[in-house]
Order: sequence, then structure tokens, then C-alpha cells
Amino acid sequence: MKRDLEKVRNIGISAHIDSGKTTLTERILFYTDKIHAIHEVRGKDGVGATMDSMELEKERGITIQSAATYCNWDGYDVNIIDTPGHVDFTIEVERALRVLDGAVLILCSVGGVQSQSITVNRQMTRYKVPRIVFINKCDRTGANPDRVTGQIREKLKLNAVPMQIPIGLEGDLVGVVDLVKMRAIYYEGDNGEIIREDDIPVELQAQADEKREELLDAASMFSDDLMESILDGGDVPTDLIMSAVRRGTLALEMVPVFIGSAYKNKGVQALLDSVISYLPAPKEIENIALDLNNNEEEKVLSNDPDAPLVCLAFKLEDGRYGQLTYVRTYQGTLQKGDVIINNRTGKKVKIGRLVRMHSNEMEEIDVAGPGDIVALFGVDCASGDTFTSADICMSMSSMHVPAPVISLAIKPVDNKTSDNMSKALNRFTKEDPTFRTFVDHETGDTIVSGMGELHLEVYIERMKREYDAEVVAGAPQVAYRETITKKAEFNYTHKKQTGGSGQFGRVGGYMEPLEEGEYEFVDKIVGGVIPREFISSCDKGFTASLNKGALAGFPVTGVRCVINDGASHSVDSSDVAFQLAAKGAFKEGYFKAGPVLMEPIMKVVVEGPTEFQGGIMGSINQRRGMIIGTLEEGDYTVIESEVPLSEMFGYSTVLRSLTQGKAEFTMEFARYNPVPKGIVDDVIAEIKKRRDKK
Amino acid sequence: MLKDELIANNPLGVFKKAANGNDAPPRMGLVISRPGLGKTAILVQIALDNMLHDRQVMHISVGQNIGKTKSWYDDIMADIATGASQEEIMAVKDEISRNRMIMTFNAATFNRPKLEERLNDLIQQDIFKPVCLVIDGLDFAKIDRRLLEDMRDMQRASKLSIWFSAVIHRETPGEIADLDLFDTVLSLDPDDQGDGKIFLNTIKDSTGCVEEGKIMRLDPTSMVVWG
Ligand SMILES: Nc1nc2c(ncn2[C@@H]2O[C@H](COP(=O)(O)OP(=O)(O)O)[C@@H](O)[C@H]2O)c(=O)[nH]1
Repeated sequence: MKRDLEKVRNIGISAHIDSGKTTLTERILFYTDKIHAIHEVRGKDGVGATMDSMELEKERGITIQSAATYCNWDGYDVNIIDTPGHVDFTIEVERALRVLDGAVLILCSVGGVQSQSITVNRQMTRYKVPRIVFINKCDRTGANPDRVTGQIREKLKLNAVPMQIPIGLEGDLVGVVDLVKMRAIYYEGDNGEIIREDDIPVELQAQADEKREELLDAASMFSDDLMESILDGGDVPTDLIMSAVRRGTLALEMVPVFIGSAYKNKGVQALLDSVISYLPAPKEIENIALDLNNNEEEKVLSNDPDAPLVCLAFKLEDGRYGQLTYVRTYQGTLQKGDVIINNRTGKKVKIGRLVRMHSNEMEEIDVAGPGDIVALFGVDCASGDTFTSADICMSMSSMHVPAPVISLAIKPVDNKTSDNMSKALNRFTKEDPTFRTFVDHETGDTIVSGMGELHLEVYIERMKREYDAEVVAGAPQVAYRETITKKAEFNYTHKKQTGGSGQFGRVGGYMEPLEEGEYEFVDKIVGGVIPREFISSCDKGFTASLNKGALAGFPVTGVRCVINDGASHSVDSSDVAFQLAAKGAFKEGYFKAGPVLMEPIMKVVVEGPTEFQGGIMGSINQRRGMIIGTLEEGDYTVIESEVPLSEMFGYSTVLRSLTQGKAEFTMEFARYNPVPKGIVDDVIAEIKKRRDKK
Repeated sequence: MLKDELIANNPLGVFKKAANGNDAPPRMGLVISRPGLGKTAILVQIALDNMLHDRQVMHISVGQNIGKTKSWYDDIMADIATGASQEEIMAVKDEISRNRMIMTFNAATFNRPKLEERLNDLIQQDIFKPVCLVIDGLDFAKIDRRLLEDMRDMQRASKLSIWFSAVIHRETPGEIADLDLFDTVLSLDPDDQGDGKIFLNTIKDSTGCVEEGKIMRLDPTSMVVWG
């Protein structure tokens, strides 16, 4: 059967913590008839919402993984991709954003636009994701959707256009007025499942007329037909309005705003209708892949089921059904029994079972076409891998993986735990390339590193819960790095003559800064002065040296090592001898190559009342921060800055006391910069002191 | 070094020294043109010249956001540093970006007391000490003379240089009634021949740096002043 691609919606639901994402998702799944009881998120009945399948997520009330859940509304296939809201999980957010075609941004009618919404909104803008807004919790005391709409315009800089007005607010909320149809809609029955349409209540008529006028004004910007129809007077056809709003939304020039209460079952079905009406079908979105056979040239994917396959593995899950890999297809068709290629590893994979994940069951399917989101069984890969058919070689992501900026040591509480811990680490590093781990050979500690404190905390909790691996974690440390700034030569001989057979190897060449990437090894040996079999020993020796820079013991990155000279001995040369020679050569060259200590710099955005602007800027300045700019609107200020991560520990407390809790900040990794000359010695001394203490 | 080269090659450097060889006094400056000819680019080049000399500049943008304003600097830097390696450009950019702070306002909220309060705040806390302000995007048709007088008083008292930009809609600068408040007035004019050339015309300069009537040329695509 040919699928109708028009009838697919891949959407994300995104929100600041506690705005009601879980509740809303649960309600959506209920109305789409997939689950038959509504559980409260932290319900008394002990049954959690369906989406947050991970225990930990339930406990913290935040959703970390981007699980995809299928449901059906009005004949449309809807895949809900869960987008994590916290900046510490940037890579997962960005991966989810590649997979979805449109998004619902939930805002709380009382809390309004909060810091995470700002960050997520920024990312959505970057990835050109059309979005609609749902102002939730309109049943709460203090609910003020108008105020929130104002904030969307001011803080998110979106052209927010209300599509509804509430009938009753706070405790009296019973329904909404639909400004397109100009009808009142009431949600009745125990679960709001009975929808009753009626005339607009008289007392709301004037307000509805006014808001309708605004809606028509805004929508007519996107449709000449609508404009004409309005000028002609008389009734404006509903479908003209809807198609204009749709056009504006897809062009990212308008954001329709809906209201309701997920908890009180108001407005959820209308929101679902709007997802269908205003968010894009897969083929309305341009997706780009990089052609690996052609210098990573960008190629627009076709949405054609008969084109060569391109799909992205965006999530791995090790759960109740065994190992699952979630993939989204962009073009071509995925079929049971097909052989596909993982373009990162070059490995062939045969597709066994293909399933579609409903909220509480899975459905076996045979094929998946463009725009589909399905799960595969037993496919060995990492999150972010691209699979294609054998005739092409493309990747969805040259998406660069940010370097970890923070690390800490973990120790298993006992031996039994140690095994489980490695299993967990193995899994997590596959799922999340920003989460890394290695063993510090000097201390024997296992070190994990990632994008922020919370990022690491969450994985530590997951180890305990999912793998029964309890660990003791050390204090978080900034992940400094070392690099070199100029070219330097080396020529080192390793010689040892003790008793029996000796060790001999000489390695000559140079090292130089590498503009992009972490390390490169170049073999320019001619005439076999270093025998073939020992070339890789040199590489190994250099690689080993990279783990711990001689400046302060941090990993060295951005180095190209070139060997072009050397000597060997027919008896005494060996793999070990050349590894040691390369290590010696590295050390010799390193200090001549102007090594510097690099620190992670974070982009920090603080927002708060203007009266605190001076104090906030002072606090950034004290932290070696650089203020890039300020934005002042009325009595509200946004300050953009760049601050070294090492100076940011405890900043939330400082900011809170500085601004009586009225300011918030977000932080994301920007880049690595050299530690300023004036303080580098102090920093190194401090690091060494901390190490010695251990 | 790239930095020295950039300083030497900036034709707008002429506003630094008076004809008698003395350092030019701080000034009230104005760049006028019809919309879209590159006023912002001229202000950015004036700002960059200061930044390259390690003098701090506050870029005040009325109506444009931080990111957009910042990208003006990145683009102009890339254009004036043609031929330099990406690494060199980055190094200079890193070095001089500390000399710039961007402050954005919406039109309604911009006034002297507020600006002064912000500046004093920064200076007293030793965060930032600009010697030059560039103020881009102020709508001269809507502000009244009082604001400009205020700004001039502030300029005289604080010994800052302040450069403004203003849109005119007709060919003649006469549209702006307040030219008397400025020491230097530059006008961007498209070439009459209609072949896309743009000139930077010195309409007025009472600081003795440049003869009135001096004309510089602009690259119409990058909006970089050639000389
Ligand atoms: N009053 C009210 N409470 C709500 C609403 N939606 C969610 N909540 C409550 O807000 C809290 C957080 O909701 P949850 O769905 O977990 O938010 P999430 O963190 O965004 O997933 C829970 O206690 C919900 O019961 C609503 O529409 N009205």
C-alpha cells in the first residue's frame, strides 16, 4: 500500500520542567485511544505516565531520552518525539530536532517563558523547526495567557498569534473560543472526552471579535486571497484562514498560540487538530545529508520511497523489549530482510524485525517509508549513525560533537559493582557521544566526562537504577586540555642495554598545530629507516602521550605528528622500543612547540529585571567573563557573555542572592580558549595541589 | 602582523590626527545616507579602528539585536582582512573583541540618563571604559533636538567620541536640521552614473582632520572604505 506522506506528523513536545509536558503527552495518548486510563505524573496509583519509561526520569520529573511514540489522530500518523529540555543534554536535543518536523512548545500560563524555553526555542530556530505554542495550566490561580503571549513576543521574538480565548479562567476554565470557526468549545465528561460546540457566550463576544480581527490581520500577511476576502467584507472562509496560518507557521514567520489545561482535560483535542492543521508533513521540510563520497557535499533528500535509502539512528534503548534502535527514514524504504550499511563503520546490517512503538505496545511492520519513525531490533550501532542502502554513502550528521567540559572520578562501591559499571558505561557512551569515559592510569580511577554537572549526575543515577551499579563520585573538575602553538622538531633515540637483548629505536620528525581535529599521524619515512612493522608502534607511542600532557597532565589535542627520519637495529628494535622512542620524541618536541593550557569557555546568558543589570555585569566581570552585549526592553534585560567554566561553579547561588531570585541564566559550551598567561601558573599549581591531596 | 596592517590600511584613520599633527579631539560625528547604503558598516569600521588601537568602544544599537550587530563586525573583519589566514583573523578577533560591548535598546527606551547610568555603572565597576560610542539606528525623524543636545553635552563633559548614523530620504542633507550639533558629518552617496559606486563625502569637519569636501570610495558589496 502506498502511504500518504501528507498524513504523517513527526512532532516534538518541548517545555521548561514542570510545565506539563508529561501530562500533556499522556492526555494526547489517551485521546488518540492508545491508553485507557489517565495516570497522574506522580500519581497516587503508583503508575507513571507512559512516555517517561525510565525510572529516573519519573523521579526527577524530567524526560531525558528522546523516545518516539506513535499514535493516530483523525487518520494521521503522529509520532511524538520526546525532546529533552535541559541544556546539559544539548546533543540529544539537537538530535531530536533533526528527527522531528514540527514542535509544540508548552508554556505554563503562570510561569510564562522561562529559561529553558528560551534555550530550546533558540535551538529550534537554528534548526528551522516550525512550532505552535500551547499555554498549559490555564486552570491555575494566576493564569494569564495574554501575559504569556506578550512574553513569547518579547522574550522569544516570535510572532505569536492567539488562535483561541479561554472560557473562564483559573478554576472556572470550561473550554475555549475557537477564533477561526468563531465557536465555543466545551470539554465535558470525566476526562474531557465529550466535546460540545456552541455559540460564543455573549459576555465574550466583544473580546472574541477583537482577537479574531488580530488573527485575520496576522494571517492575511501570508495569503493574498485571504486579504481580498477580508477586504470584500462578509464571511471569511475558514479554510482560507487556516491555510494562511499554516503558510505563516511553516515559513517560521508566525506562531499560533493555543490554550488549555492538560490536567483538567481542556483543549487537548483542539491542540491535536492544530498539529495536523498547522505543523508540516515530512515532505514540507527540507532535509540535508552529506555525501561522503563527494567531500561531504550537501544533498537535499527526496522523500521518495523509491530513492536509495537514507535513515538516521537517533536513539538506542536497552529496555523491556531488548535492544532497540530508533530510526527515522528520510528517503527510500526500509524493509524487513534488507541489507543496509552503517556509514560510520562501513558495516553491513541485515534488518530483522521492524516495529512501531506505541505507548504501551509494539506493532510489527514490514516496511517503513520516508518520514516514518520505527525501531529496529538487534542492530549494533551508536546514536547518530546514518544507514543507507549499499549504492550510496551519506551521513545525516557531520554534526560536530562538542568536547566534554567537565569530568569527575567514579569508584564502584564493591567488586561486583565494577562489572555492572563497565556495562553501563559501555552503553551510555554509545548512546551519547558527549559522554566519555577513560581510566586514569596513575590513580586507577575511572573518569567520566560530559557537558555539565547535571549531565554527569543523571548518568550516575542511571547506573544505579538500571545497572545496579552504585558508585562514589568525586568532585566535578573542569576538563582542561593542552595543545601546541607552533611547529617543533624532535629526534629521539631510545636505547637500553641491560643483560640479554637490548632495546633500540630512533624517531625523528616534527609536530605542529592541527587546525581541525584532535590528532593526526603522518608517516613520511623513506628508505625504510624505520621498518614498516614499527610505524604503527610510533603512532601508538604518540597516542599514548596524548592522554596526559606534560604541561599539567591534561589530554593533548590539536596535534599533527610527522615522522620522517629514524633508525633501527636488527636485533634490538621492537614494538616496545619504538613506542618508547616515540614517547620520548613527543616529550622532546612538546616543550619546544609552545604548549598551552586550554579551558572551556561557556556562553552564559543572564536574564532579569533591569535594576539588577549593573550587579549582574559585575558578577560576570569578576568571573573573568567577557560581556558581549546587553539587550534592554522595558524593565527587562538580557546579558550575553562568555565566561570560563571554571569560574561558573556556584554561580546560581550568587545570582540568586544578587537579584533576589529574579534572574535566571543558561549556559552552553562555546569553545576552548587558552588560559590567560597571567593566571596559568596559578591554575596549574591549584590543579597539582588538588591531585596531590588525593 | 595582521593587526598593524589593519590599522595602517583603514582610511577612516584620517580622523585620528588633525592637520597640525595633534591628536584629534573627541567629537560628535554623524554618518548620513539614504537607507541601505551602508551606514552601519561605516560605524563598524570606525569602531574597529578604535578596537585595534586597544581603545574600548560601546556599540549602541537601537532596534537591532546583539547577534546581528556582532555579525556586522565579523563580516567587516573578514572583508578587510582578505588574504589573512582564518587563524590569524581569529586571533585578532579574540584579542580585540574585549574592546567592544554591544548595548541594544528599543527605540522607545533610549535616552541620555539611561545611557549615562549604564556607562557609569560599567566605568565605576571597572568593567568597561569606552572612549568611543557608536549609536546606530536612532530615528532622527522621530527624536527631538533635545536628545541630541543632551548627547552633545554628555559628549563634551565625558570627552568621549560619539558617532551617530541617520537615514535621510532625499538627496540633500538639509533634511536633518541638527547638523550644527555635530563636529563631523559624513554622507554616503551613490554615484550619479548609476554604476553602483558609493562615495563617502566629508560634508563637514570642524576638528581639522579632514578638508571639507574630501571624498572616499566604498566597495559597494562589502561596504568597506577603500580610501
Ligand atoms: N493545574 C495544572 N497542573 C498541571 C497541568 N498540567 C500538568 N500539571 C501538573 O504540573 C506538574 C508537572 O507536570 P509534568 O507533566 O510532570 O511536567 P513536565 O515536567 O513538563 O513533564 C504535575 O504535578 C502535574 O500534575 C495543568 O494543566 N494544570
